[in-house]
Amino acid sequence: MTSRPSRLVVPALAGALFLSLLLATAAGSVPLSFPGVVEALLAKLGLPGDASALGATGETILFTVRLPRVLLAALVGGGLAVVGAVLQAVFRNPLADSGLLGVGAGAALGAVLAVHLGLASAVFFALPLAAFAGALAAVLAVYFIAGASGRASLHGLLLTGIAVSALAGALTSVLLVATEEFRVKTVLFWLAGGLDGRGWTHVQAAAAFVLSGVALLALLGRPIDVLSLGEDEAASLGLPVRATRLSLLGLAALVAGASTAVAGSVPFVGLMAPHALRPLVGPLSRRLLPAAFLGGATLVVLADLGTRTLSARFELPLGALTACVGAPYFLLALRANEGRG
Amino acid sequence: MSAREVRLSADSLAVDRGKRRVLSDVSLELFAGEALVVVGPNAAGKSTLVRALAGLLEPAAGEVRLCGRALESWPRDARARLLALATSEEEGPDALRVVDRVALGRYPHRGPFQALGEADHAAVARALEQTGITPLAERRLGTLSAGERQLATLARGLAQEPRVLLLDEPAAHLDIGHQLQLFRTLDEVRRGGVAVLAVVHDLARAAQWAERMLLVAGGRITAEGAPALVLGSDAASRAFGVRIRSHAIPTLPQPHFTFEEAP
Repeated sequence: MTSRPSRLVVPALAGALFLSLLLATAAGSVPLSFPGVVEALLAKLGLPGDASALGATGETILFTVRLPRVLLAALVGGGLAVVGAVLQAVFRNPLADSGLLGVGAGAALGAVLAVHLGLASAVFFALPLAAFAGALAAVLAVYFIAGASGRASLHGLLLTGIAVSALAGALTSVLLVATEEFRVKTVLFWLAGGLDGRGWTHVQAAAAFVLSGVALLALLGRPIDVLSLGEDEAASLGLPVRATRLSLLGLAALVAGASTAVAGSVPFVGLMAPHALRPLVGPLSRRLLPAAFLGGATLVVLADLGTRTLSARFELPLGALTACVGAPYFLLALRANEGRG
Repeated sequence: MSAREVRLSADSLAVDRGKRRVLSDVSLELFAGEALVVVGPNAAGKSTLVRALAGLLEPAAGEVRLCGRALESWPRDARARLLALATSEEEGPDALRVVDRVALGRYPHRGPFQALGEADHAAVARALEQTGITPLAERRLGTLSAGERQLATLARGLAQEPRVLLLDEPAAHLDIGHQLQLFRTLDEVRRGGVAVLAVVHDLARAAQWAERMLLVAGGRITAEGAPALVLGSDAASRAFGVRIRSHAIPTLPQPHFTFEEAP
C-alpha cells in the first residue's frame, strides 16, 4: 500500500550510512587508504582480508582512534534522531527536540558539577555519568512539576521545560564562575560537543543505553502513532495515555541523556533528521524511526568528519557544526510551518 | 437481540470542571440501532456530556454504564472495541495518510504488537467506503479540507466497529452534499444495530435525522422526546432565546422549522 519511492528510502539511507562510515574511517589528519581500511576490517571480522594492509601505525589509528569515534558518532546521531522523532509525535509538534525537556541543560549542569567537585579528573567516567544523571533529573523534574497540578498538559510540559532549562543554565553559569580556571577548559570542551579522544569504553556505554532505548522505542511504535492523534482520541482508542507518555519520555531521556553524556551537546540533529525524512516516509513510527536512526547517524558521522577535516589547524566543535547547519534549517522549517498554518 | 436493548446509559451523572459543576443530574438511555441527537446552546455542556459518556471525564457523581456494565470497570481495549468517539477537533499529523489514520481505529482490536490482519484491512476499506473517502485513501491529512479531515476521523471511528458511536458535531465543517452523505452513512450504521448519539448544531438537520432529541441547557437535560416536540417546547425557545415555529408541509414527512429572534 506504500508508494514505490518511499520504500527505497530506508535502503538508500542504510547505504549512505555505510559509505559515510567507511569514508569517515579512512579520512582524517592521517589519511588511510580506502581499500586498506576495507581489507583490515574484513580481516578483523575473520573474513578473507589482508590484516597488515595498513601497516602497524595505520592499524592502530584505525582500531583505537577512528573506528570507535565514527561508531560513537553514528550511535549519538541515530539515538538523538529517534528521540526527536518520538518527541515530535508525543508533543504533536513537528519541530520538537530533546532540548525541550531540559535534557541538554540538565546534562550540562551535571557535567559542570562533576568538574567543579574535581570528580571528573579523579574518577574515570564521572563526567559522562554525572551528565547522564543531570539529564534524567531535569526530565523527571519537568515531568513531575508539570504534572503536579493533576494532569500534565502539553503546554505545561513545554513551558516547564523552558523554566527548568533556564534554572539549570543559571546554576551552570554560577558553578562555572566558581570553578578553578584549569578545570573550566574540560567542561567547555564537553559543552561545545565533540568526540575527540573517545574510545571503545565510551562506545560500549553509549551502545548499551542508546541501542536498548531505541529498540524499546521502536517496539512502542504503534502506541506512539496512536498518541500522535491527540490525548482524547488516543484515550478513546484504549491507550493508557499518561503511562504511555511517561514511558516514552523516560526512554527519550535515557537515549538523549546517554548521547549527551558521551558527546556533549549536539543540537538540532533530533530536529533535522526526522523532520526532513517525514515527508518521504510518512509519520508512522515503524517507517519513520528506522529512517530517522539511519539519517541521524549519517548526519553526525559526516559532521564529525567535517570537524576533523575542515580546518587543518584545529578541530572544530561538533555541536557548533551541527548548530550552524541546524539553526538555519530550523528557521526555514519554522517559516514554512507558519506559512501553512 | 431485542431492538430495545440499552447500550449506553447515564444515571444522575454530574461532571465538574475545577470547582464548577458543568453537568448535573443527567440521566439517559441509548438503545441499539437508535439515533439520538443532542442539541443545546453554546456552552450548555453538550461536549462535556459526550466526553463523559466516552469515559474521558471522570464523573463527580452518578455513573455511566456501557452494555450493562459500569464504564470504568471495562478494560480499556474492550471498552474501545464497544464504544467509539469522533469529535470535530482532530489533530492528527499532517503527513499521515488517510488510510493509515483510519487503520489506527483497529488499535483496540490488535493492541501494540499484533500485526493487522485481513479482517482489519476489510474494516478499514469498509469505513473508507461508507464515508465516501476511498478516493482520498492515499492522500495526506495536511492536503485535505477541514470537512474531509472530519470524514477521515469518522471513518476511524467506524473502523473500530463499535456498538456505540458518539459524535461531537460531526457535520461542523461539511458542505451540504457532505452533510447529507454523513447522515445517510450514520443511518446505515444505525440500521446495522449500532447505537448512535450525536451532538448537532444545526437544529433543522438534527430534527430531520434523529428519532429522539435531548435538549441540554445550563448543564442539565431540559427537554427530551421526539424532535418536533422538543423543538416546539418552551424549554427550547428559552434555551436558545429564539422563537421556534414548526410548519407542516404536506410533501415532507417531518415538519419544517423556522427560527426568529425573540422580541
